Amino acid sequence: MQARDIAVQIPTVTLADPVARAVRVMGLGRLPGLIVVDRSRRPVQVLPGTQVLRLVVPRAYQEDAALTRTVDEAHADRFWQEIGEMTVGDCLASPKTRPVTVRGGATLLEVAGLMASARSPLVAVVDATGVLTGAILLDRLVAQLALVEPG
Amino acid sequence: MSGGLALGIFVVAFAFIATEKVDKVKVVLVAAGAMAVLGLVPGAEIFFSEHAGIDWNVIFLLFGMMIIVGILRRTGAFDFLAIWAAKRSRGRPYRLMVMLMAITAVASPFLDNVTTIMLVAPVTVVVCKRLGLPAQPYLIAEVLASNIGGAATLIGDPPNIIIGSRAGLTFNDFLVHMAPVVVLVFIAFVLLTRLLFRSAFRVDATNVEEVMALQERRAITDPARLARCLVVMAGVVAAFALHSVLHVEPSIVALVGAGVMILVAREDVSDALAEVEWPTLVFFAGLFAMVAGLTHTGVIRTVGDWTVDFVGDDHFAAATGLLFGSALLGAFFDNIPYVATMAPIVEDLVAGAPDAATGEALWWAFALGADFGGNGTAVAASANVVALGIAARTGNRISFWEFTRYGIVVTLLSTTMAWAYVALRYFT
Repeated sequence: MQARDIAVQIPTVTLADPVARAVRVMGLGRLPGLIVVDRSRRPVQVLPGTQVLRLVVPRAYQEDAALTRTVDEAHADRFWQEIGEMTVGDCLASPKTRPVTVRGGATLLEVAGLMASARSPLVAVVDATGVLTGAILLDRLVAQLALVEPG
Repeated sequence: MSGGLALGIFVVAFAFIATEKVDKVKVVLVAAGAMAVLGLVPGAEIFFSEHAGIDWNVIFLLFGMMIIVGILRRTGAFDFLAIWAAKRSRGRPYRLMVMLMAITAVASPFLDNVTTIMLVAPVTVVVCKRLGLPAQPYLIAEVLASNIGGAATLIGDPPNIIIGSRAGLTFNDFLVHMAPVVVLVFIAFVLLTRLLFRSAFRVDATNVEEVMALQERRAITDPARLARCLVVMAGVVAAFALHSVLHVEPSIVALVGAGVMILVAREDVSDALAEVEWPTLVFFAGLFAMVAGLTHTGVIRTVGDWTVDFVGDDHFAAATGLLFGSALLGAFFDNIPYVATMAPIVEDLVAGAPDAATGEALWWAFALGADFGGNGTAVAASANVVALGIAARTGNRISFWEFTRYGIVVTLLSTTMAWAYVALRYFT
């Protein structure tokens, strides 16, 4: 079985999208992460869910744990509103890491190995020109592996 | 021939560093490697010549201080102090700015400027947001204060570490000769900010409660650990100050201090080492290797001889040229590579001085120019670049010119005051 056989279509975001939209896409789609694409639909970043939080938590708090502790409960409850109109591109860490992608012809072992090494429950599947054709989610990969009978 | 080749490699590398087109660590590694491979400087000289090669005192002083400061910053003391100050200002913007600048200027002689900015900038952004104030003027004022305050001591600014090591100047020498003028310049700067940033001092009084809601006491989770760390930091500063009694190199003091800090803070070694900015240390090492190429091929000696001939007996003119020239060049290039390159040339100049006091005056003029020049433009010092990065990431973008138009004014003020200080103290 190959990557293209278990890939699914999921909604994506671009660098110019507001962070609020990115959070909604992930939350409403119940996705384990997000794929950020450029105008040509080439993946720029593949963000595991925990890294999507990096978009939402204001940078001042990410860089200073002691400062985070000083925020009172009322403000802490609505911390992510401080992001305001910032875009996904504004909030991505720099330097950007290489997006977690595989070709459609990759084996399940390649996909599993990539997910494990990149600590990402989401892998983007791309064609020969690097354009996104689908995504492999961790639960789908594990379910597929579980179906394979020993021997 | 070899001198021309070394100079060519150096100039090309310096151009890449100055324009920041390529990662500066890559640039110095390639340039230093080219010098070694082409036989412009022997490897043994790069690694083992105390004077002409890599200055390990500088590298290990920075290494030790990075660990000490990295552990100290995690205690939350800085956040406590900055929020306490913001609350004490009761939302009055100018008072808030002065208090934040004062914290920055007091901390920066003991912590490096980049660390100081990384500690104070996030709190500033949060406080300004709650008060509905633009964070940019406050961040700019802090960077300028940090570069001024850092000039006061041996460990406050990387150029001082290089100059101190090259000239054999102690922590106390810096305190005695640099701190007085730094205090005067800081006072003048604080008064000037009232005028410079006057448009940033309008606040809605109803926002003050937002700042008062911050809980600064929660920043410090382990007061006993903080107390132990502060004792170690005080011990390190005392050991720097007692150099003439203890005869222990600053780099050794920093390394021992880092070890003791790891022990008393019960810090994991790998966490402590994660605080070390390895690219910065590699950059310094590569830079020293590049300069070693210039020294070994006689370029530094030639330039030094020209300079000595040009200056003749007029050492006050030399001090003036060093001060303003360093401020000007330091404003457009990162002042660290500038000082690393110029230090051997200044050493030649000092060797031609009629007495030790005049020679030392030239070192102080050089240090003041390079340190204060760090305020000149947005790229003149690492702290400026770091502050602009934090500003951008928190949605408070500061453009090159927005910073520079304030930086130029403050650099003019500080270098003019420094020149008057040098003239009055050493040449009358």
